[in-house]
Amino acid sequence: MRTRLLAATAVAAATTVCAATLSGCGSGSGGSAKTIKVVYQQQLNNNNHVQAGFLEPMVQQFEKANPGTTVKLVPVTASENDYYTKIQLMMRSPATAPDLVYEDTATINSDVASGYLQPLDGYLKSWQEWSAFAAPAKAAMKYAGDGKTYGVPDDTDTRGLWYNKQLFAQAGIAVPWQPKTWADVLTAARTVKAKVPGVTPLNVYTGVAAGEASSMQGFEMLLYGTPAANDSLYDGKQRKWVVGSKGFRDALDFVHTVYGEGLGPSPQDALGANIQAAVGTEMIPQGKLAIDLDGSWMPNNWIRTGPKPWPQWETTMGMAAMPSQNGQGSGKVSMSGGWAWSIPAKAKNADLAWKFTRFLESKANSAQWNSVNATIAVRTDVAADPTYLKALPSNAFFTALVPATYYRPGLPAYTQVSSAIQKAMESVTTGQSSVDKAASTFDDDVKTAVGADNTVQGAR
Amino acid sequence: MAVTDSPRTVRVRPAVARRPVIGTRHTRATASRVAVNVSLLAFSALYLVPLLWMLLVSVNAHGSFRLSVPSPTGENFRNILNSDTTYRPMLNGLLMCGGGTMLCVVCSVLAAYPLSRFRSRLRRPFLYTILFSTGLPITAVMIPVYSMFVQVNLIDSMPGTTLFLAAAALPFGIWLMKNFMDGVPLVLEEAARIDGANAMQVLWRIVLPLMWPGVIVVTIFTFIGMWGNFFVPFILLLSPEKLPASVGVFTFLSAHDQTQYGQLAAFSIIYSIPVVMLYLVLARRLGGGFALGGALKG
Amino acid sequence: MTVTAAAAPTAGPRRGRAVGGLLRGVPLLPAVVLLVIFLAGPIAYCVYYAFTDMQLTGASGTHFVGFDNFTRAFRDADFVNAVELTLVFVVGSAVIGQNTLGLALAVLMEKAAKPVRSITSTVVIAAWVLPEVVAGYLMYAFFFRQGSLNAILRGLHLPQQNWLYTLPILAVCIANVWRGTAFSMLVYSAALNDVPQELVEAAEVDGAGPWQRLWRVTLPVIRRSVMTNLMLITLQTLSVFGLIYTMTRGGPGNKTETLPVFMYQQAFTSSLIGYGTAVALVLLVVGALFSVVYIRLLKIEED
Repeated sequence: MRTRLLAATAVAAATTVCAATLSGCGSGSGGSAKTIKVVYQQQLNNNNHVQAGFLEPMVQQFEKANPGTTVKLVPVTASENDYYTKIQLMMRSPATAPDLVYEDTATINSDVASGYLQPLDGYLKSWQEWSAFAAPAKAAMKYAGDGKTYGVPDDTDTRGLWYNKQLFAQAGIAVPWQPKTWADVLTAARTVKAKVPGVTPLNVYTGVAAGEASSMQGFEMLLYGTPAANDSLYDGKQRKWVVGSKGFRDALDFVHTVYGEGLGPSPQDALGANIQAAVGTEMIPQGKLAIDLDGSWMPNNWIRTGPKPWPQWETTMGMAAMPSQNGQGSGKVSMSGGWAWSIPAKAKNADLAWKFTRFLESKANSAQWNSVNATIAVRTDVAADPTYLKALPSNAFFTALVPATYYRPGLPAYTQVSSAIQKAMESVTTGQSSVDKAASTFDDDVKTAVGADNTVQGAR
Repeated sequence: MAVTDSPRTVRVRPAVARRPVIGTRHTRATASRVAVNVSLLAFSALYLVPLLWMLLVSVNAHGSFRLSVPSPTGENFRNILNSDTTYRPMLNGLLMCGGGTMLCVVCSVLAAYPLSRFRSRLRRPFLYTILFSTGLPITAVMIPVYSMFVQVNLIDSMPGTTLFLAAAALPFGIWLMKNFMDGVPLVLEEAARIDGANAMQVLWRIVLPLMWPGVIVVTIFTFIGMWGNFFVPFILLLSPEKLPASVGVFTFLSAHDQTQYGQLAAFSIIYSIPVVMLYLVLARRLGGGFALGGALKG
Repeated sequence: MTVTAAAAPTAGPRRGRAVGGLLRGVPLLPAVVLLVIFLAGPIAYCVYYAFTDMQLTGASGTHFVGFDNFTRAFRDADFVNAVELTLVFVVGSAVIGQNTLGLALAVLMEKAAKPVRSITSTVVIAAWVLPEVVAGYLMYAFFFRQGSLNAILRGLHLPQQNWLYTLPILAVCIANVWRGTAFSMLVYSAALNDVPQELVEAAEVDGAGPWQRLWRVTLPVIRRSVMTNLMLITLQTLSVFGLIYTMTRGGPGNKTETLPVFMYQQAFTSSLIGYGTAVALVLLVVGALFSVVYIRLLKIEED
């Protein structure tokens, strides 16, 4: 009686199983010795295919030079966070691990700690050109736990002060301008505020919405300029996070001063999700912002193919290094990020992946990449290359900051510390809490995130 | 017109109408009808604003978040109508979501029948379990699902992803379907059984025709959910050429790119077309779209 | 299959019923197989993860940590904030917003002229069938400082706000009402069709006003639809993620960080899989609690 119902059910069940089995067949990836899979992040911007446009001809050249090899490019279209999630999942299992992966310098250490990447020291030993890479960039590729190197950086960025020469002229500030201390920066901003109405004197990214821009372009550019410098956020020798330091409160106080005195954008704008785009494509090109603490990539907004073509930037905008707090040390500060090529621990064909990396990172190809992508070179020989220096008028200035730049502590807990920084900044920007209160909230947040025994009391 | 008319007519309404005279009662009814119509139209207009913005910006060369009269252009559509951005992801999405929806609907109809018709001690716990499981955000289970898919070699497989999408939609599908089926009276079924029809025949010939609205609602609901799902295909598929439209859309739209309003709006429209079409086609079968089964009585 | 079916009639009555009982359940099989393989397994793993310190990156091993993730959650001010926001979001946008608006629309549409009825239902349903992210994007554009809402308010000479900054939770609630009301409207339209006209007319003759008729006659008749609708939209709203994430990403600050968004941030931004899954389980419990309340209310009706 119920045969037909049974039959129908059986068919449905069988279809399910069949589909499951069939689909299994198509997905086995051919791990032949001559094939490598290269994973990188495809930018969200629909029109930005710079990296694909660079890599595709590279692959063709490489395959021609090495007959019989196949390089399979696998772009992952996603936001940065989702990109990390995806590549980490892929690297977890041998079946899906790529042979070469594009890693943010800030996450490399974290991925090493999870055992996702393999050290490259064996390969680097016999690669002469490794010595051409800038020391801070090389240091950022080293994992503190074993002192080994896990990536080859292909670009970086540096940070400093952009200022509008015309607004400075109106305010009566002499250009070229190079402040010596934090106080000089504030003085200039106050002068602009007094003399040029209707203009935002100084932008320092702040708050949660701007995300890492707040932490890195904003806060750390200040914090690493305090006397503790490279040990101001994370003490590399003791391998502990620094809490309760005077430097932290001073940096926070700077932010508080900027927004408390109305030197910055209105808190509503500063804390909104659009602030970065607004600064780059509206405030600066419209001449509404006098000083901007920002990155070397800003001209990407203004070049012919950028979102806000503005050729006059070359004559309008000046650049100055961010001074350290009291002009101590080298007198200037910069923070750097950037990306690197790494080989996953479970890569099937590490040798060929290395060969491809070396090809990508040759002097000529690096120079081309840094030029098309408008990033700062990490190879010192590229940094002196005239085509690269001419690609953007600002390249020379920002490349000169590379030897003195700092990289963020590339540790897994950094994201949590970074969000604690953003929260602290937000609360002093709105005036919700005092500097001391915000700093002690930060201390508590960090202790919760990393555990109190992984923190150390900074210089008071 | 109607707007200026209504206040006057409303004022005619007597304060107390214990024993309504035919005339005033008639005016009152008209007045309230006009008020109802006007307020519904005003409400619809407000409801329409965001949709209108999307339509206007998509053909505007200089779009922004402001509502503005467009300087018309087809540029935005031209820019996105290519294989990589639109056609292939849309096709992938249609294959996976279409297949997943069909699988889910068939399985939930089959499952709903015994759940609705036969008593069993296991029935209630089963129903509650699947009901509660709808509260779990699917993003939470993706990590173990990834490991599992790697082990059974289903990773980067479109059929595999389709199966998972179907499974993830099943709890809600079964639950809704069972409720709709409860609304179909048993009497007809018993008559058919006496005539010698088997369970499958009863389900197919008697029950289903009476609950098409329910099946259609579940179909639409399931498809909308899958079509908008970004995280599942993003995690389970590795090759870019297999990804459905939702992945691109999610990343583009959530980035609020300040420079491409027009393209984003155009893309949103193209991306919404399949769901709208599905609704239009299926709602026609419902005869006007109002039969979201009275069976949702619990 | 045929064999068992054929064997059934020959078996004794008791065995026959047992086999029959099993056979009756056979149509459940495809669904159960799919559910067990693809959902039950991973959910079981999630429950396990919730008691570990698993991280996607930054740590090599995974350790069992007992209830640490849960105790940590309840001490975490951000988690408590997320729970509160989730309740506000569910009650504000679903229980009050979608539910009331859906009922109001259904009632009004019964009285409206046919073209008006079609226009209203088309517009409301159009918002419903839009993919979640598109709805989120449109709502972002609507509430944006230079967006449509402020343009309308300016036209009416009313004060404007930077909605996504000053009242973000209200904005996402309204967004969810905008997107989700169609479901309630459809449920109630169908339910109202079943309200016997004589009852309403009798009440009218007795002199009951429209409010009284709604409260005393209509609502009691459709109460089961109300409860079921509430339960469904509550469960749907609890797990809303894409809409909020597209509009605000949980910000500004954490002012719209409901549990699904919080879970996502912890699990995937901070890569704390263990903690994130623990939060997801809490969400599951919240959903179950809501459902139990509704089911109880339905049961009281039955008794």
